[in-house]
Amino acid sequence: MIVSAAWLSDYVELPDDTDLLAERLAMAGLNHESTSRVGDDAAIELEVTSNRPDCLGHIGVAREVAVLFDRPLKLPDPQPPEGPGDASHCIAVEIREPRMCPFYTARVIRGVRVGPSPEWLVARLATVGVASVNTVVDVTNFVMLECGQPLHAFDLARLRGGRIVVRAAAAGESFAAINHRDYTLAADHCVIADAEGPVALAGVMGGAESEIGPETVDVLIESGQFDPLAVRTAARGLGLASDSSFRFERRPDPAMVEWASRRAASLILELAGGTLQRGRVAAGRLEERTTAIPLADGRVEQVLGMPVPADRQRATLTALGFVEQPAAAGGTLWLPPSWRRDVTREIDLVEEIARIVGYERIPEDVTIAARAVAESPRQRVVRIAGEVMVAAGCYEAMTRSVVDERLDAVGSPWSESPSLVISPPLVRGADRLRRSLLPSLLEAAGLNAAVAAGRADLFEVARAYLPSGDFSGLPEEPLLLSAVVAGDYAAAKGLLEAVLSAEGLGLAAATGSPRLVCRQIEHGLFTSGRAAEVLLEREGLGLFRLAVLGEVSAAVRGMFGLPGVVSAFEARLDPLETAIRDMPGIVRPSDYPPVERDLNLVVDESVPWASVADSIGSEAGDLLERLRLVEVWRDDERIGPGRKSLVVSLTLRSHAGTLSGDEAAAVVERIVDACGKACGATLR
Amino acid sequence: MDLEAFARDLDRLQEEAEAAFARAADGDTLEIARVEFLGAKSGRLKQAQKSLSLVDREAKPEAGRRFNEAKQRIAAAFEAARTRLADRGAEAEAIDVTLPGRPLVLGRLHPITRTIREVQEIMARLGFESVDGPEVEDQWHNFEALAIPPEHPARDPLDNFYLAVAGGTDPLLLRSQTSTVQIRVMESRRPPVRIVSLGRVYRPDTADATHYPMFHQVEGLLIEEGTTMAHLKSVLRLFASSFLGGDVHVRFRPSFFPFTEPSVEVDMEWGGRWVEMGGAGMVDPAVLEAVGYDPDHVSGFAFGLGVERIAARRHGVADIRDFYRNDVRFLGQFGERLR
Repeated sequence: MIVSAAWLSDYVELPDDTDLLAERLAMAGLNHESTSRVGDDAAIELEVTSNRPDCLGHIGVAREVAVLFDRPLKLPDPQPPEGPGDASHCIAVEIREPRMCPFYTARVIRGVRVGPSPEWLVARLATVGVASVNTVVDVTNFVMLECGQPLHAFDLARLRGGRIVVRAAAAGESFAAINHRDYTLAADHCVIADAEGPVALAGVMGGAESEIGPETVDVLIESGQFDPLAVRTAARGLGLASDSSFRFERRPDPAMVEWASRRAASLILELAGGTLQRGRVAAGRLEERTTAIPLADGRVEQVLGMPVPADRQRATLTALGFVEQPAAAGGTLWLPPSWRRDVTREIDLVEEIARIVGYERIPEDVTIAARAVAESPRQRVVRIAGEVMVAAGCYEAMTRSVVDERLDAVGSPWSESPSLVISPPLVRGADRLRRSLLPSLLEAAGLNAAVAAGRADLFEVARAYLPSGDFSGLPEEPLLLSAVVAGDYAAAKGLLEAVLSAEGLGLAAATGSPRLVCRQIEHGLFTSGRAAEVLLEREGLGLFRLAVLGEVSAAVRGMFGLPGVVSAFEARLDPLETAIRDMPGIVRPSDYPPVERDLNLVVDESVPWASVADSIGSEAGDLLERLRLVEVWRDDERIGPGRKSLVVSLTLRSHAGTLSGDEAAAVVERIVDACGKACGATLR
Repeated sequence: MDLEAFARDLDRLQEEAEAAFARAADGDTLEIARVEFLGAKSGRLKQAQKSLSLVDREAKPEAGRRFNEAKQRIAAAFEAARTRLADRGAEAEAIDVTLPGRPLVLGRLHPITRTIREVQEIMARLGFESVDGPEVEDQWHNFEALAIPPEHPARDPLDNFYLAVAGGTDPLLLRSQTSTVQIRVMESRRPPVRIVSLGRVYRPDTADATHYPMFHQVEGLLIEEGTTMAHLKSVLRLFASSFLGGDVHVRFRPSFFPFTEPSVEVDMEWGGRWVEMGGAGMVDPAVLEAVGYDPDHVSGFAFGLGVERIAARRHGVADIRDFYRNDVRFLGQFGERLR
């Protein structure tokens, strides 16, 4: 809302210091955006919150100034002289849709001479950024900007059939607006129609047909009330927002319907001549509120934490237009003014007092009781994941939760169901809630490659959105940790292992509960044969997919312009919040010397490392301090085709005493036997 | 064998060993000498030890003493040679100390994450626990419980990301504020409540230097008996002083939010001027009633901060879209820094 300083001073004496004025208004709820000079005048731009339609007119702002600076408010009292002839002989008004239009009034002035507006009116409008059109149109704009009640003026001669019908539009009905464009209306739009068709989109914009022009002789002044939702639906649906629709969406002061009509008539008579017809033609009922609001003694201090003397409270509310009613002991009773329909409850009265008395007086040094706070399981899991990824040289990325069709089509390890779709799209084309972070991260990696940003190993912690079976419930939102790194499968797996280990789950820890199982999978994201899932096995809960990982397929790399071998993983963090209830106790390191043994185990190509490791682990038990795979080699001549040699290094150590050479040899022999039985391994 | 012959052999062995160790010019020749004299299986000292058994019985104690003495001297000579060679090695390999170290590549947390964590930590010190909730919400939690009725403009389809579901009457939507989490917490707990909810929120907006349709909010909520606006102001002042450093004042300007009453904009002194940090207010009695609390018995306050705005200002980022471009040349610049 832009207000003119000169215009405001019609109603209240302004302080000389415009900066002080702006400051006080801001601190009372009308945020100051800017002040600029326009000729001799100052245009002050104020931000008006949606609960204060009264301040969408100069009078409302002037009232705030009067209260803040304790000065009298002078308002015009328009009493336009009526001539011969009855308005009701000129027009009939019917409301067919009272929900959309509870109240409608028409005044008629005959014999006007429409021409250019006088300089003072042109200047006023210019200060607030409104172009002058002609006397009649300028008056309707002036009155709206004065009191916040939008008006419309019709050329009476252009209204067919001598009648006004306020009704819902017929679906598909067409309407030529004052901007000379045609609009197709919907059934939830409200129109002002004459005997033949729409002449205005109610509360939004007039029609081209009945526009006031130089040839206009008889004028109908419309002043009414329109439903905020109907006005908003039409204004937004047709892209036709106007100063009028903006105000009707916020419910202007009902008392201004009549005042504005008389004020406009009075100004038109003054500027364009003519004869005001007797009376007004009205339909519907003006809703009036008579409910008074109680304010308990002590309530203000209870909410604000500072005392405000009772007489100060009373003076403030009275100045704002609230009228005190007789009340029972222990409180006061207040009837709000018609322009403050936002004030309905005791707490609203408290806010009125607070904003005028001043929030700067509220103490800022009261104490609050101490309260213990622990890091939540989710915070811990996310923090640990971030620590590991950062230590591993990965940058945390943040990508959009909503993706386009192309990214969505890359797929998800978590759901095969179609993605949830939103409207409007988040950004152009992006209307699908992602089921995996990996496509977005791969895209980000691709963008880094395109600008030659250098090494760009990325990770992200965010939610995915998985459609639930039925659409009544909320979707499942797993919290995911995803990473895209340069390197082969082992690079991604090493990272994932480090994260899981730091979270208290070791991939290598093959026994105990919860247990992790790594299995090969095929997925479009990954190169065939080079992808796996990691399953979490919990007692009584079975196997649960915790993560997938693999080398990104050539097709997907090509799609995002990623050169070289790239690997990725995506892990669910949410199960980790509950998976690890009790961290294992700390084991004191053994003081006895270790025994190191290297074994060269030859197995069939089909035997996975995990089987060999399991056999070694379960046979060696507590004596196995460390198991390390040194290398895997193949040689058709030395070990035969279809076979591989696993060179493993064992560190054996006892907590009970020094392992003798014989004891160690016996353990190794049992390990070799176990690997032979379980995996067909032979010692080379 | 008599003692004299044993001692003579031992003296020669000691002399030769000392000479060989002294002669050794590098690690390899020293190692050859070590094996020759001190080898565990067939070194010459080991052989001398074996010949000890051949010494006449009555001379054995003296022979043993002499042997130990020689053994210690030879070992000392070896140690001396090894130390000498090690020192010389160091001299030989003098390096360009200005060469770079072996690189240790560290990643970085995202600046938005860093800002959120900092806010969380400060609020935790003030007794606020961090909570989390779904990003796809129902209309009850995103609107109704927050005193935003069906006809309210904030629920307009063009101002929200509703889920497109055929036939649904109350479609789900991407939450437009993290206050939804506050409702969920209040529905499941009795007062006192002291929480910060945080995370991604979504509002249709054309992306530009200061707007993005997806952004992050941190919202605090305190519900306790006897809570006043003075508590709100004091908590925000403590927050501001911790976050910005020093004794920072806060300023309230009246505002309007459906779920708080009174509602205020919060300004903090930052870099010598008032900077708008977010919105706040006393929790509206209608909201307390919606979650089953009795507004006559408990009261509370809520406040919300826009994370992108704070992070952008703290780090001098002119265009918030940079936060979502994920260029590592941008992300790599966010290290620890002093205020």
